[in-house]
Amino acid sequence: MVFLPDESRSLPPPPLVNKGSVWLGLTGWIAALLDNGFNHRPIIRAGVHRQILFTTVGWFVGYYLAKRTEYVHAKVDRELFEYVRQHPEDFKAAGI
Amino acid sequence: MAAALRAAKGLRLAVGPPNLGERQQGLALPFTRSAFVAKRRNHDQPNWFGVGLAFSTSAALWALLFKQHNEDVMEYERRKEERQHKCTGCS
Repeated sequence: MVFLPDESRSLPPPPLVNKGSVWLGLTGWIAALLDNGFNHRPIIRAGVHRQILFTTVGWFVGYYLAKRTEYVHAKVDRELFEYVRQHPEDFKAAGI
Repeated sequence: MAAALRAAKGLRLAVGPPNLGERQQGLALPFTRSAFVAKRRNHDQPNWFGVGLAFSTSAALWALLFKQHNEDVMEYERRKEERQHKCTGCS
């Protein structure tokens, strides 16, 4: 299973600030803050390099996940519309 | 109770090497050697190597992300042009 098939590149790429990146970046940051807490360090003032690294990794992974999400949704939409196109009798609007 | 515990501790320390029992042979040495050494961590100095590694990895990841995003945008625009070219024909 390919993570991002070639046809996914025909889709518009997600912006650099996208839901996946923001959410996973946030989880990375919270993980760094939790690490500080568990090791009895000041929560936000300590390990800024760690906070930046964890946030960056989350942002990075979030971008690729967002791309794959867009691809999967587009694929399902394509199959759905193709089915509707091939079975017009099942999708007659009411009253026509 | 504290006095009794202290007395018991004194008794324990006075005992020599551990008693192996009749079956076992060999000397019971009062110390053993081990390949594993534990160092007490000293956090007075920052771990500059770790800090440098973390910042450089972050910078590399951001650079890779920006590069990937720009490549994605270029490829999308290129395929859009190609599709228009194919659909409308050479105009």
